[in-house]
Amino acid sequence: MDHARFDELKDAYVLGALPERERRELEEYLAAHPERQAEIEELSSVASLLALSPPEQPPPPELRRNIMSVVASEAQRPPTRTWLSGITELLSVKNLALGAAAVLVIGLFVWNLLLQEQVQDLQGEVASLQDSQESRMVALAGTGAAQQAQVEVMIVEDHKPVLMAEDMPRVPENKTYQIWVIEGDVPQPSGLFEPDADTVAVVVKKPLDKGDVIAITIEPDGGSKQPTTDPMLTAKL
Amino acid sequence: MVDPRKKYLLLADEDLISLVAGERDAEAFAALYDRHGRAAYSLSYRMMGEKQAAEDLVQDAFLKVWRGAGSYRTERGSVRTWILSIVHNRGIDQLRSTASRRRTQDRVEASAPTSQPSEAFAEAWRNSQREQVRAALGTLPKEQLKILELAYFSGYTHVEISELLDLPLGTVKGRMRLGLKKIRDYFDSQDVAVPR
Repeated sequence: MDHARFDELKDAYVLGALPERERRELEEYLAAHPERQAEIEELSSVASLLALSPPEQPPPPELRRNIMSVVASEAQRPPTRTWLSGITELLSVKNLALGAAAVLVIGLFVWNLLLQEQVQDLQGEVASLQDSQESRMVALAGTGAAQQAQVEVMIVEDHKPVLMAEDMPRVPENKTYQIWVIEGDVPQPSGLFEPDADTVAVVVKKPLDKGDVIAITIEPDGGSKQPTTDPMLTAKL
Repeated sequence: MVDPRKKYLLLADEDLISLVAGERDAEAFAALYDRHGRAAYSLSYRMMGEKQAAEDLVQDAFLKVWRGAGSYRTERGSVRTWILSIVHNRGIDQLRSTASRRRTQDRVEASAPTSQPSEAFAEAWRNSQREQVRAALGTLPKEQLKILELAYFSGYTHVEISELLDLPLGTVKGRMRLGLKKIRDYFDSQDVAVPR
C-alpha cells in the first residue's frame, strides 16, 4: 500500500466498511507509518459521532437485571480471564510448594518426631514463599493500529514476567513484534512474538524492575539489537 | 444517613471505570450502565433492528466493559465513546457473521426513496451534544448520509454498498469521504471541537 491508497481507503476504514483483506492491508501500512495515525484518530472521532444519532430507545428493565446478575456473581470472585487463568495456574508454584511441604511434614512426623523443629522451619519458608508470590498486572497503552489491543504484563516475584496480548494487529510479512525492557535509556531485547491467534502469551526474557519501561515495536524477522521503529505499546513500571 | 450509592452519582465516568477496573465495584458499573445504557441500546437497536438481538448485543458489550475496564485509556476518547465503540464493533461482527433479516431489509430500503435527514433525525435529543450531532448530520445530502448509515449501522463494506446501490465503487468512497468531511466542517464552522 502507498500513501495514495491509504488516503483512498481511510474513510471506509474508520466507518468499519473495509473488507477483511483491505482492512489488514491498511493496518499493516499504519503500523509501518505511525505518523499517519493522527489522521485516523481524527477521522475515527468524526465517524464515532454516528453512534449518537439513532433515535433514543429505552432499554427494557430486565436487560439491566440480567447484566447486573452476571456482574454481581463475578464481582464476588477474584478477577480472572480465561486465557489468563491457565497461565496463573502454571505460575502458581505456591500451591505445589505448600503440597510438598505438607507431605514432607507428615513423613518427618512418622519417621522421627525429633525433626519437628526442622519441619517448622520448612513451613516457615513456605509461608514466606507464599507472601513473596504476589503478582500484579500492568497494562500497556497502545497507539496507532494497536489502540484496540489489550496487552498486559504479569509480574510475579521470582519469576520471569509474562506478556499477554489480545487483539493485536497482524504484522506485515517478514516482520515480527519485539519486546523491549528499557532500563534508564537502554533498550534490552526481551523476546519476539507474532499474533497468530487472537491471544498470545510470551515470556519476557529480561526481569522488570520499578522504573523500567516495557515497550513493543515492529522489527524485521529475527528481531533487532536496537529498536528501529517507534513503540506501538508501552508501560512504565 | 447518606445512601452510599449516591456517591456514584457524583463521580466522573473516568472515576467509575477505574473503580470497576481496580476494585471490581459492581455499584460503579451499575452507575455507568445507568448513564450510558440508553445510548448503547439505541445504537444496538438501530444496528440489529429487533429487540432481542439488541438486548443480546448490549449485554455482550457491557460484560466486555465489566471484564475489560482496565483496557480503557482516557487518551482514546471519553468513556461513552469507548462503550459505544464496543457496541458498534461487536454489532458489526454479528451482522457480518449472520445473514440477518435487517440487512435484507436494508436492501429493500436502499432502493426506496430515502427520507430527508431532517425527518430521520426528528427524535428528541438528550443533550446538546446529541443536538450538535443531529445538526451536523442534517447538513449532509441524503445520498451521503445513506452511505454512511449503511456502512456504520448495517456493517456493509464499501464494495457491498456499491453493489447494493448500483454505484461505482469510487462514488461510494467519494461520498464517504465527503460525508465525514462535512460533519467535521460543521463543527469547525461552529467553532466547536468534535465531541470525543
